[in-house]
Amino acid sequence: MEPVESQTEREAPARESQTDFGSVSSPAPPPQQERRKKPRTWEIPPAPVPAPRLDDYKGIVGAADIDELKFLASELAGKTLKMVNSTAVGGGVAEMLNQLIPLLNELEVKTHWDVITGGNDFFEVTKAFHNALQGSDYHLSPQARDVFLMHNELNRQRMQFTEDVVVIHDPQPAALIRAREQSPQRWIWRCHIDLSNPNPEVWGFLRPFIEQYDAAIFSTQSFSRQLQIPQYLFYPCIDPLSEKNKDLDDSFVQQVCDEFGVDRSRPIVTQVSRFDRAKDPVGVIQAFKQARRYVDCQLVMAGGGATDDPEGAAVLKEVNEAAGDDRDIIILDLPPWCALQINALQRASTIIVQKSIREGFGLTVTEALWKGKPTIAGAVGGIPNQIIHKLTGALVHSVEGCAYQIRYLLTHPDFARRLGQNGHEHVKENFLMTTNVRRWLLLCRILLASGTN
Amino acid sequence: MTSAMAPTLAHTSVKPFYFNTSAHLVRITRQKASALAEFLDALRECPESSIFQHSFRTLQEHHFIREGFSNDFAHWALSACNEPSLAEGLASVDVREFTSVAELRERFVQIVQTFLQRNPTAGARTAKETFYFCASDTVVIPTSFVANTLHEFAEGLRRVSVHSIHHHFIEARLRLKLMSNDFSQWLYEDMGLTEAARQLNRLDIYTVTLDDVRAQIIRIVERALI
Repeated sequence: MEPVESQTEREAPARESQTDFGSVSSPAPPPQQERRKKPRTWEIPPAPVPAPRLDDYKGIVGAADIDELKFLASELAGKTLKMVNSTAVGGGVAEMLNQLIPLLNELEVKTHWDVITGGNDFFEVTKAFHNALQGSDYHLSPQARDVFLMHNELNRQRMQFTEDVVVIHDPQPAALIRAREQSPQRWIWRCHIDLSNPNPEVWGFLRPFIEQYDAAIFSTQSFSRQLQIPQYLFYPCIDPLSEKNKDLDDSFVQQVCDEFGVDRSRPIVTQVSRFDRAKDPVGVIQAFKQARRYVDCQLVMAGGGATDDPEGAAVLKEVNEAAGDDRDIIILDLPPWCALQINALQRASTIIVQKSIREGFGLTVTEALWKGKPTIAGAVGGIPNQIIHKLTGALVHSVEGCAYQIRYLLTHPDFARRLGQNGHEHVKENFLMTTNVRRWLLLCRILLASGTN
Repeated sequence: MTSAMAPTLAHTSVKPFYFNTSAHLVRITRQKASALAEFLDALRECPESSIFQHSFRTLQEHHFIREGFSNDFAHWALSACNEPSLAEGLASVDVREFTSVAELRERFVQIVQTFLQRNPTAGARTAKETFYFCASDTVVIPTSFVANTLHEFAEGLRRVSVHSIHHHFIEARLRLKLMSNDFSQWLYEDMGLTEAARQLNRLDIYTVTLDDVRAQIIRIVERALI
């Protein structure tokens, strides 16, 4: 594989004039290089790394925690589990299942994974359902219902459901519940999306299916609905051994910074996210510029989605315009397989920002906290579950609030370090893959032990 | 572990200490509150497992924080309702003073009720965030650690997870219905170490992490070995 130049290369612009900073003088920054080095990314995705084994996590969570998983699983010996979702590759659900299923199988809870099939008409309908359930306007036509039900029925006929526990992920395959036959079998609906404000027509159509399940799972309390069945809280999680989160040699971190033109001798403020207005990238630049009136720092905006998404390209253009000729703002539009580079940039950062104004759970926040970084994030979606203000990070509601927290954390390193340490422990306790395995084992044990459907 | 340690007569127990642990799954209940008046109603009506989740369990979930986190109710009163005096009152509740969840609920209800009597306009004010009452479904599981001697007990304390420490040292009073914990009970009843048992019961769990608590317990046990 040859490294190639990414689209992030920019000509070295002139430094922003100090007179733009208003009446407060800025500390003198160190001399700039003549020209920023050309950032490089890999042309094609690297080969996948083998899935970690359970014992690989002992060094992270401790042997006692792994032993507890084995004890929990021992009660489920011989039981079988099926996971069903709508895609085998791409997206957070498939990524999570790829990590979770080998660990469940290693614990001898035999777990199968089936992916539903459907034509373009089906996936157009389910995409519309997905958006409508998260609050978009939508009129549910009889044709859309028929397409949804027909493809669920075709999948029901094609698939076998002989396992002790069947887990259906998200709305697309929700009507497979009609395959339920064996009375001791348990069916679980795992909802990965925000149902706090669903389109009433779509939710009214899906709800009768959902209430036939034995339990539903949501990613945060605020994403749930009032249902007649038990609802459980499963936070999304990260894998500490994945490319995106594993420990890295400092030499690699330095190499990535050199390639991307990031100066590690000065404070680095980073936001990692798609170029999406919900992540308020322009607001991040504004906050950075306000903060830099008081403290020397650089801003790294690392993301993707600008090449295959017209809206992403438009947002990237806005971001470049907002950055202007500022050499301290480094904008990186990276392909999706740059997990190691993202990891390195996060590890090189002094502070990580996720100034979202709408958010799902916000796993980039989890990643930042795991790396022990003082993190500033918008108080939306699942972020308040992760950031307890002033204890595990800083929650903000505005550009000004974000600017203030950048200044404060850069000038109070002991406090910032404590936030980072607490954030790391918070993730270790609540948002790691091993905790996710524990939750699945517990839920299976609880449901299989319950006497009625 | 038993084979690694040679029991001494002076420090051998009548009954072994079996280290267990508890695993909890969080269930989202029907109760939620967007203002303090609703919160008080929900506090009265929610299942006991909700009171347990937001007090005993939340302490475990945030066991790494030394300052400023006591229970979810206090945290919400401050961060979402901006009521520091109510938050201080709720945060001052030490779960170890209660041997039943019903008594603990009554204490929380009393604090909120008194606050709303003194501040009647606060009850209807909309909070910045909704409080979702959750509940804890608990499964007790064994560990591989058993102690017949004080040496083995100290070794077990070092090697079990913090969840096991929480299970025996903090949650235990609800099971025992005593103002004590499993460790103190074993030291007192089976080892005859009254002073060590008493010292464990005096440890402050709110100003240190659970790993700090573990270290303090080990120090007390090691002193008893001398």
